[in-house]
Amino acid sequence: MKTTSALARQRSRSGVIFAIPALILVAAFLGIPIIQAGYFSFTEWNGVTAIWHGISTYNHEIHDPIFWRVLLNNGYLLLGIPIAILFPMGIAFLLNEKVYGWKIFRSIYFLPTAISWVVIGMVSMRFFAQEGLLNGLLKSFGLGFIKTDLLSSEQGALFAVGITFIWSMVGTNTIIFLTGMATLDQSLNEAARMDGAGNFRIFRSITLPQLNRFIQFSFIITVISAFTALFSLIFVMTGGGPGFGTTTLEFFIYQSAFSRGNFGTGAMLGVILFFMMAVLGIGQLLLMRNKDD
Amino acid sequence: MKHKRFALKPVIAFVSMCILAIVMLYPFYYMINTSLKSKEQYFGAPGHSFSSWKNLLKVLPVGRQLLNSTLVCAGAIFIILIVSSMAGFALAKLRSKASPIIFVGIVGAMLIPLQSIIIPAYINASKLNLLSGYWGAIFVYAALGTPFATFLMTSYFRGIPDELIEAAVMDGLTYGKTFIKIALPLAVPAIITVIVLQFIQIWDDLLVGLLFIQDENYRTITVGLGALSAGRVTDIPVLMAGSLISAIPAVAVYLIFQRQLVNGLTAGIGK
Repeated sequence: MKTTSALARQRSRSGVIFAIPALILVAAFLGIPIIQAGYFSFTEWNGVTAIWHGISTYNHEIHDPIFWRVLLNNGYLLLGIPIAILFPMGIAFLLNEKVYGWKIFRSIYFLPTAISWVVIGMVSMRFFAQEGLLNGLLKSFGLGFIKTDLLSSEQGALFAVGITFIWSMVGTNTIIFLTGMATLDQSLNEAARMDGAGNFRIFRSITLPQLNRFIQFSFIITVISAFTALFSLIFVMTGGGPGFGTTTLEFFIYQSAFSRGNFGTGAMLGVILFFMMAVLGIGQLLLMRNKDD
Repeated sequence: MKHKRFALKPVIAFVSMCILAIVMLYPFYYMINTSLKSKEQYFGAPGHSFSSWKNLLKVLPVGRQLLNSTLVCAGAIFIILIVSSMAGFALAKLRSKASPIIFVGIVGAMLIPLQSIIIPAYINASKLNLLSGYWGAIFVYAALGTPFATFLMTSYFRGIPDELIEAAVMDGLTYGKTFIKIALPLAVPAIITVIVLQFIQIWDDLLVGLLFIQDENYRTITVGLGALSAGRVTDIPVLMAGSLISAIPAVAVYLIFQRQLVNGLTAGIGK
């Protein structure tokens, strides 16, 4: 009896010791900096000296129209999310029907996941340019009069960034839905068909509920990407411009700190982004827990 | 009539999949085609040439930057593997009352966006003199990769029977030895998944490299390319040659380890 408890004690002690390196690494480079960000968000900080201003820094920021302009850009990008989810879902359905060559198609669609936003941005910029493929295509369809230089107008540039974003999510979301469809219980479909249910009815009442978890996952991944993964794309494609046309919150953080030297403002914007993502993540967790009960 | 409609459906599906494949592959075609043109050919002169590839070597130290990318990836992945496999083993097999707290402490850090910590982390690293070589970037990449890697390793080790570990301990092995001799060899598939996921993530990253590698000689290829485009190098064929060469290693890893990459991605969905 004594030996087992001694063994158990030794085991739990080892358990803590083994986790220490990971804890230290995460604390040093993520944990402490997020606390520092919280502190410096209340200050005017140039990287060397910080002057405490308290809550007035936040107060000042939410009365700044540029801040809302930036958030609006994020909002516009979110409008693309239904497409970024439903379109890949349709693709996954087709592939799941085992279209001829579906394995090769799957690999091709997922391929852009491997290339960096820098490269994607550089090609995308050429695609939307005045002499780029988009205008070439429009012309060949007899729509040459639309000829636009999307990247030179604020709305146009954001639209181009959004399209590129949707394009780059196709692979990831298609794979998520393919994984989901592999878990579908085919016998349910057959039973429903026996009972006289049509295709649409089967899709709505049997397939969709089974895919719920995967739809949620793809939603979360897509929203997180829209908020936190587009820095390099924007950096390369538009530099946040024209004006504040494509400056999203994450890009605004970088600009505030590293272009304008307002490290305090940058830290504050970072804290705001953190809370937005945390609410999203915790909401997702609660949603999943409710389902389990 | 009904027969004909049935034969048509797969054809329409196939054709639309082909069109989509063209859309997804277009960047690769564009990069290859454009990089094989000189500046004049890009603006309409006929033919192809290698002159842009030669010019690329003049504006971008490609070899050096590929080496830098490799070293940064290797360093960060090495750290991630050590700390996440140890923590994963501890959280799955050496459980105690502290385990859930430790798990949340490490894995919960996934919720912290890079942009939220990057300013304080940058100032800290500059005070610690970590910005002059590779180390600043290596540590930040390692810290960013550790939460998800720990999550993956923990769920993988949970799938290994407790008896296996207990038997080894009963035979007199220490927990350290059990980890190295019994658990680690069993975890090779999870280790490969972590390597592949992290390699692509770190190789393709711009922001951390841009800030945490101050010396141009240590720049990774993705940062070199990003800086080149921000410097408004207007020679598009040269930029495309650079894009292509920076994309090749990650694409190669993708083609070889596609299955592990998909496993890693979908591991987050849970049960």
